[in-house]
Amino acid sequence: MHGLSIRNVSKSFAGAKALSSVDLDLIPGEVHALMGENGAGKSTLIKILAGVQSADSLEVLKDGKPITLATSADAHNAGFRFIHQELNIVPHLSVAENISLGIPYPLKFGIAIDWRALENRATDALARLGVDHINVRQKAAQLSTGDRMLTKIASSLVSSGDDSAEFYVLDEPTASLSGDESEKLFQVIAELKKSGMAILYVSHRMNEVMSICDRVSVLRDGEKVFTAPIADTNRDDIIFAMTGRTIGEAYPARAKPHGTQIACAAKAASTAHVKELNFELRSGEILGIAGLANAGQSEILRAIMGLTPIISGRLDVLGKLAPTSPTQAWRRKISYVPRERRSEGLMLQRNVRDNVVLPHLDVISHLKIFANQQAEIAKTQELSDAVRLKSDSQKQPVYQLSGGNQQKVVFARAIGANPSLLLLDEPTRGVDIGAKFDIYKLVRQLSEDGCAIILTSSDLPEILGMCDRILILQDGTQSDIISAKDLKPAQLLAQFYETRAA
Amino acid sequence: MKPGRHKVQSMIRTFKLYGTLIGFLAIIIFFAIQLPDTFLSARNLINISQQISMLAVVAFSMTLVMVMNDFDLSVGSMASLAGVVAAVLFSMGYPIYIGIGAALLVGVLGGLFNGILVSFFGILPFVATLGTLTMFSGMAFLTSGGKTIFGRDIPSAFSGFARSGIQLETFGFAGLKIPYLTLVAVSVLAIIWFVLEQTVFGRRLYAIGGNYEAARLAGLKVKTLRLTAFVLTGLGAAVGGLMYASRVASANPTQGSGLMLDAIAAVFLGMTMSEEGEPRVIYTLVGVLILGILDNGLTQMSVDSYVREILVGAIVISAVAFSSLSKQVR
Amino acid sequence: MFNFKSMTGLMAGAVMSIAASNAPVMAQEITVITPYLAQPGTQMFIEGFKAEATNMGWTPNVIDTAGDIAAVISRIEDAVTKQVDAIVINVDPAQIEAGLAVAKEAGIPVIGMDSGTSPLLVSNITSNGYAMAAETSVYVANRIEGKGKVVMFVFDAFPPVQIRGVVADAIFGNFPDIEVIDRVTPDVSDGGIADSRAKMEAILAANPEAGSIAAVWAAWDQPALGALQAIEDAGRGGEGIVIVGIDANPQARDAIAAGGNFEASVAQDFVGIGKMTAGVVARAIKGETIKESVIYVPTVLITSANVGQ
Repeated sequence: MHGLSIRNVSKSFAGAKALSSVDLDLIPGEVHALMGENGAGKSTLIKILAGVQSADSLEVLKDGKPITLATSADAHNAGFRFIHQELNIVPHLSVAENISLGIPYPLKFGIAIDWRALENRATDALARLGVDHINVRQKAAQLSTGDRMLTKIASSLVSSGDDSAEFYVLDEPTASLSGDESEKLFQVIAELKKSGMAILYVSHRMNEVMSICDRVSVLRDGEKVFTAPIADTNRDDIIFAMTGRTIGEAYPARAKPHGTQIACAAKAASTAHVKELNFELRSGEILGIAGLANAGQSEILRAIMGLTPIISGRLDVLGKLAPTSPTQAWRRKISYVPRERRSEGLMLQRNVRDNVVLPHLDVISHLKIFANQQAEIAKTQELSDAVRLKSDSQKQPVYQLSGGNQQKVVFARAIGANPSLLLLDEPTRGVDIGAKFDIYKLVRQLSEDGCAIILTSSDLPEILGMCDRILILQDGTQSDIISAKDLKPAQLLAQFYETRAA
Repeated sequence: MKPGRHKVQSMIRTFKLYGTLIGFLAIIIFFAIQLPDTFLSARNLINISQQISMLAVVAFSMTLVMVMNDFDLSVGSMASLAGVVAAVLFSMGYPIYIGIGAALLVGVLGGLFNGILVSFFGILPFVATLGTLTMFSGMAFLTSGGKTIFGRDIPSAFSGFARSGIQLETFGFAGLKIPYLTLVAVSVLAIIWFVLEQTVFGRRLYAIGGNYEAARLAGLKVKTLRLTAFVLTGLGAAVGGLMYASRVASANPTQGSGLMLDAIAAVFLGMTMSEEGEPRVIYTLVGVLILGILDNGLTQMSVDSYVREILVGAIVISAVAFSSLSKQVR
Repeated sequence: MFNFKSMTGLMAGAVMSIAASNAPVMAQEITVITPYLAQPGTQMFIEGFKAEATNMGWTPNVIDTAGDIAAVISRIEDAVTKQVDAIVINVDPAQIEAGLAVAKEAGIPVIGMDSGTSPLLVSNITSNGYAMAAETSVYVANRIEGKGKVVMFVFDAFPPVQIRGVVADAIFGNFPDIEVIDRVTPDVSDGGIADSRAKMEAILAANPEAGSIAAVWAAWDQPALGALQAIEDAGRGGEGIVIVGIDANPQARDAIAAGGNFEASVAQDFVGIGKMTAGVVARAIKGETIKESVIYVPTVLITSANVGQ
């Protein structure tokens, strides 16, 4: 048959099965979604396809003929191209240079770089993807994450010679992209499809899978438990295949009304990047902040956290003016789960305990000077249990944890302060479904205990499922605050684009 | 991570963690066999402890900043400057405590300056302390007039400190003494160990090393913490410089310059022994011991000094290479 | 796989073979300790010392501490632990008294090779630094007929060089019409030529008129060579600026032979110092009392007249 057939992939690590007899077909012109919770074996499978990890057993047939994928060069020659979340883009080189990074630059007189040819090559590559908004002369550092990804994909197209691209593996490509950027990526994927590429699309995001994929396979505990054309399946079936649970349980409903005390109040408050915020948040209330990407969602949380100054208007937090530093904020029982878990949240090399107790060291010390290990152990245990953290021990370095458990560590830290106000910036990004359920339960619990919560998310069902009200941002300005009750995703999305009343 | 995967990995990890220690023990055993009469004698061990004491103090202090992934390249010239400041004051007739006090103050001020450059101006430590290395060295030349201050200018009580110690006769070891320099190094080790491992301050320095941004967002006063660590490192360098001046009964504007690279090498050697590659002051001690024992033993074995340098370099590189190789394997 | 243990073993093996090849065949063990082995003069001391030592059947162990004075003390302690028969040092004894005291207590003789005088040393074998500096500064004073501006390159941090400056100061001070316009301490970390050249360039720029500088007196050859380069590159080689150095190293000899501004230097008999030191060591080991606390080895003023010899 045409395309790539992967048969009977198995891999064990020291006796534990990571993959057992998995089959997968990549068909030209088709987008194949690969889903599963963290630890289900997706990463292992991708590493095997990329030739960076050996398999215990593996048969690969390309157009019916057996090939090997023992090294990354094999994978490249077979036509595989991998687009990861962490994009190895060189920020201080131009887009055009980045696109030609892996292959020789065109030359004039055999020595001087032919800049025009280099730029044309880049423009052509982007045009093949239907992308015309990126100026190939600008530095890659100036690109948004989404445009960097498009640049990377364009770069994979220009690889010269006969080892041309046939199979794309996109590993959670939209995890760090905004809605807008994701849309552009989907168009590019459509272009790739049209030109006969087969795409393996790894994602946690149900909406995307349902809308852009043609086929879905689900891994669970190293086995392929489900595969079907998208047209013949639905969301509930897929979630059930992944978790053994149904989606109805995802967002726990509010059991009692929120409080009346004002936790946070903005009166025409502005920072350098968001203007004219007006809202009142009550104790126990969950306020969502939504809008197109980079409309200022994070900036609001950063202002409340004391990371960005208020330049006009007034922002009161827990009865006082907004804090001026994170140190003050934590002291005033404001907890923060930052957007970038790995770069802003965690000390990846350090263990669970060090990460959890980080902001609470002096509270659980003797005389605020001498560290108190017993108390740290007890506190970590208590908080880990509260967030249902799964780790080998408190001494396990967090880089070894799955994305969901890493996020739980950040949550454990945040609730450790016993917060009155909790700021969550994209709290479930890169988190598997099971961990998401746990996080939603936890957030709901906190809110019912009276903690006011502000939540930003680019996942619309999440915003709608968890929040009481939603503050809509349009390009750095508050356009509206609406009740989330009975709101449909499409209605919310429409709000992002609606022109603001003058 | 699944528990079963641990078997092979834990073996590699054991090697990674204990490789340096095994190497260290191998060096000791090797010398003990080659130099059966002298190497493990009490006198020689006491000699070693005194010989490494200055490097040890500087390396322990260096650990404080390296815990935050920072560097202080100026410790060597700070050590020289501190020695010179004390010696110049001695030569002007000031009492010993004034000289020592002023030298320690210079250490604190120098460290403060480094800290301000690094944490408030945000200059990379490598660049900032490379600059202050030159500045402190220039100040040392300026203060001393480029001369070596020695002889009658140095009070005998000051230089006598490095030659005396606690007599062990009462404990049945006639003629042996625990040198004061060794005791200073042990005290500094104890203090820095306590600060890094047992205080909130120390734990926060490790947090900064783990992820500066995460530490800041978690409410740590990262700038003040970083500043304080640099101040302590400057102070430690000044202590090391005073010990050196006492040992050589003189002060010269370049005498401490060799300490910086050895101190960094010792911390790096130590880092190969810790689980996640972070510096620990106890492991720094092992690093210092490796360097000191090699010098001591190879001298007694009449090994050419250039060969000794090659060996020291090779051992540092192989320890670090081995540790990063085993990291890749995981 | 890469294995630390086997590598340590390998290294241990390497050490052993080196140690074996260096192992003394005779009973006499002599340890030579210097922080300055990288310097050409020191290397010649060692050369002379080793030549004589070989005649006597010793295999001396030479240790360089790369500028670290405290390490010299440490290495003396190690040599004492090892109970060598004699120790030779090439560093200011005042800075290593802690080590010398340990050696004295153990009854091991320590001999200075161009180091300095100290009651803790058996003797110090050296050139007469005062005399050398006197020779070159008097040469300068005579050549410029007792008048004009003189630039001095000195290095006071190193006592044997420092005394040269003192003598030159005294001699120039004795000529009322000689004016010392600058007393430069060059950065010697790269040998001294480059920084001396830079310093001289600045001085030339500050004294632009032809003939405004009469002479350059350098306490050793490298700054003199740096000054020579600066003067020639500034096109001021024809002004008759007299340059003198001390030590007469091969580069300096070439410059003197070329007949340019670099006119004179004083040759120390480094090899002779090394040989004489070995002789003193032999006497000390025999138990002879040596009453001279310093033993001078003669020096020679090198000019174009005798540079070829």
